[in-house]
Amino acid sequence: MEARTLNNVSAMPAPTWHWLHMNDATVEVPEGLDAASDFAIDVAEGTAGAFDAAMAAAQEAWDAEHEGYEYQRNYTDEQAEKLGGTSLSAYQQGVDEVEASKDLARMFDMGMGGDATAYLREVAGTARVIEAKRGEHASASVRIAGLDGHANVAALDIVAAADSELDVCITVDSPTPGTGLTGSTIRVFAGDNAKVTITRVQTLDDSWIDLDDMGLFLGNQADVQINQTVLGAGKTYTGLAGDLRGTAANANVVTRYLGHGDQKIDFNYTLRHHGRKTTCDLYANGVLAGTSTKTLRGTIDLIRGAKGAEGKETDNVLLVDEGVHNKTVPTILCNEDDVMGNHGATIGHIRKEQMFYMASRGLSQKQAEAMFVSASLEDAYIEAPNDATREAVVRLGNKLVDGFGELVEDNEEELA
Amino acid sequence: MSEKKRTQVDDIDRSMYDFHYDESDQEHLEAGLTPEIVREISEKKDEPEWMLEHRLKSLEIYNKFPEPDWGPSIEGLDMDNIVTYVKPPTEQQASWDDVPDDIKNTFDRLGIPEAEKSYLAGVGAQYDSELVYHSMQDSAAQMGIVYSGIEEALHDEKYEGLIHDHFMKLITPSDHKFAALHGAVWSGGSFVYVPKGTKLDYPLQSYFRLNAKGAGQFEHTLIIVEDDASLHFIEGCSAPKYNVANLHAGAVELFVGKNAHLRYSTIENWSKNMYNLNTKRATVQEGGDIEWISGSFGSHVGYLYPMSILNGRKARASFNGITFAGAGQNLDTGCKVVLNAPETSASVETKSISKDGGVSTFRSSIVATPKAEDSAASVSCQSLMLDDRSRSDTIPAMDIRCKNIDVGHEATIGRIGNDKVFYLMSRGMSEEEARTMIVNGFADPVSKELPLEYAVEMNNLIKLEMEGAIG
Repeated sequence: MEARTLNNVSAMPAPTWHWLHMNDATVEVPEGLDAASDFAIDVAEGTAGAFDAAMAAAQEAWDAEHEGYEYQRNYTDEQAEKLGGTSLSAYQQGVDEVEASKDLARMFDMGMGGDATAYLREVAGTARVIEAKRGEHASASVRIAGLDGHANVAALDIVAAADSELDVCITVDSPTPGTGLTGSTIRVFAGDNAKVTITRVQTLDDSWIDLDDMGLFLGNQADVQINQTVLGAGKTYTGLAGDLRGTAANANVVTRYLGHGDQKIDFNYTLRHHGRKTTCDLYANGVLAGTSTKTLRGTIDLIRGAKGAEGKETDNVLLVDEGVHNKTVPTILCNEDDVMGNHGATIGHIRKEQMFYMASRGLSQKQAEAMFVSASLEDAYIEAPNDATREAVVRLGNKLVDGFGELVEDNEEELA
Repeated sequence: MSEKKRTQVDDIDRSMYDFHYDESDQEHLEAGLTPEIVREISEKKDEPEWMLEHRLKSLEIYNKFPEPDWGPSIEGLDMDNIVTYVKPPTEQQASWDDVPDDIKNTFDRLGIPEAEKSYLAGVGAQYDSELVYHSMQDSAAQMGIVYSGIEEALHDEKYEGLIHDHFMKLITPSDHKFAALHGAVWSGGSFVYVPKGTKLDYPLQSYFRLNAKGAGQFEHTLIIVEDDASLHFIEGCSAPKYNVANLHAGAVELFVGKNAHLRYSTIENWSKNMYNLNTKRATVQEGGDIEWISGSFGSHVGYLYPMSILNGRKARASFNGITFAGAGQNLDTGCKVVLNAPETSASVETKSISKDGGVSTFRSSIVATPKAEDSAASVSCQSLMLDDRSRSDTIPAMDIRCKNIDVGHEATIGRIGNDKVFYLMSRGMSEEEARTMIVNGFADPVSKELPLEYAVEMNNLIKLEMEGAIG
């Protein structure tokens, strides 16, 4: 395949100044990669078309529940004419237009969007379906490996019917260097009262590019937990969008990352609250070392009608080396008064009181910084979903921290 | 249980600003924006050649820039219909007695001469495109402080060089489309020079009044505060309401020297047909500090983000702002800070209130360059939604390129929490008193930083009438 430039990837819904270069990402796909969709999955294929069928059923249920409902725009046509235009920004006008359509499929977004989602779908072909039927508790593991000279992408539809529980673990790994790209593009449907947990751990060698694209739909009281760990790959792009449609739906997204070398890490999260009393928590915690760069765009969008909704987002970044570069833009968009939106970010070095404590225990600043990098890896090791992932974390850890493998072994022995 | 009612917050009462006088005796240039119009403005002002070249170059840049695609729509602003220069029927005067009656009455009604007598060290008053009055107390002049019209200074050989070296050097025409527009058609504005070690105890104030229908105002404020000097400058602005678009695209450039202090306070009250596309920027040297106090209440559309560039070790910036967006308003406000030296610090605290379908956006950027080791910045923004027809967005960006830094950000959006009301009621207040106190207290961080008279004016602007509970 020819080299491709994917534009407008992981774009913020409401952009800011262009000079900050934060509004979106551009992904350069290397020339000569063959398309592949070669991944291991340990469950039987689910029902073909399950995702689209679930969305159609959700639309039907929503229409029945909202008979006669009309979305209330910020301006009536009459007001707009009087004012010589609405004065709404392109994003604000776009929200009015999409919401007025009452079309749930149109409102369902993928986190990377645009060129990237199209590319990943093109490479992966038809999506595999992982399904939990009503009342079932199912789990699945997916392993995606870097294939030298390939763009290897998994397309998945994860469908949890009402009252079901579904755990999916995705590991993305390649211990050896190679020229290529790995990726996943995942649509998630969590029906009423469904509980879905998706854990994705990426431990690729630094020579790879990884694209992680996800879109969520949550029904009434659905509960979705997303755990993402990004440790490897020279360039990582993660995009997640979610529609909290049902009443009291909840989405938690926990992101852990360790930037090192000259890695480039890009996160984009957009969670839209449509349902009443919906809640979300976007939590990112990471360490940047070497000359690594990280961008995090987090958007909580409280749509008119989402009464009682609460959204929270946090980004804690520890900077340990002089060449690091961190960009964070935690956005809250709010078109409803009976809501609560909070966001916070702390970006910086080891705090003075922490450093003082460590110095009093005989640690130099360098040792203290190494300890935070090590702690980040240990955290990933502890949270790893299986032995293969733990091994991958140790492999990466040994490259970054002297004796990391022995350290975790000692810790395990102590715990035992 | 009695029915809960929403807190009623009156819209801004603009009646004190909403009057205008006949403009037939004023000189209007043709509407639109052409090189000929730009040349005509320059010719009328008998400017040096470099300024004409600057204007024409700015016009070229303006024509190349696209309109912003990230903020409020400015589709209702048609530059072909905007008159960029309207000259009042008087030259600049040093006594209110010499100002024509209509114009003097305008400023009387706005309380400017009274304020001058009571607590200001100097006043500049601009009516449409030109200053009509400028005066400063003798005591300030004796300290070596210069406060004059910027065009007056440009024609004074003592200051022309200073103006040449500073004018549109901080805000260049290539910054954005409306900075370029300003560079092309700017007219009027103030020049302040505070010499080294001079501290002025009373504020200076410039007031900008746009009276003409369908006109633009493009004043330029240039302030130089030398090392160890101190100044408080107040900017006020208002206009009557018309049924066509008016435009304000001023520029404020502030140069703060080593260990110098500048407080720049603004209460913006443009009418609801105004497109306020204003640019403000300060550069601060070692140990100096800039304080921005900003109240944005008027305008149909606002784009306003005062920027602080901290270029010297231990330079500081603080920004306290409040924005009130009512019916028909889309106010996109906030600030920008660049930490560009070691041990710099910035503090940003903003409040916004949206009601009656008003749209308020807080937009900010904190940029720390690799030079900003051992620096710190904190940003806090709170937005209050008073009904479910309004909108409030918060888009803060942080771009950090150094290691030893501490950047904190927090924001909340929502309505008044019942827990806060409950707490105050447990301390013996009635529910109504509790809610009144919470809403009134919301604007406190800004109003307490203003001189008393301005704080009173601001509190009058946010006239709060409490009725029952919020809910």
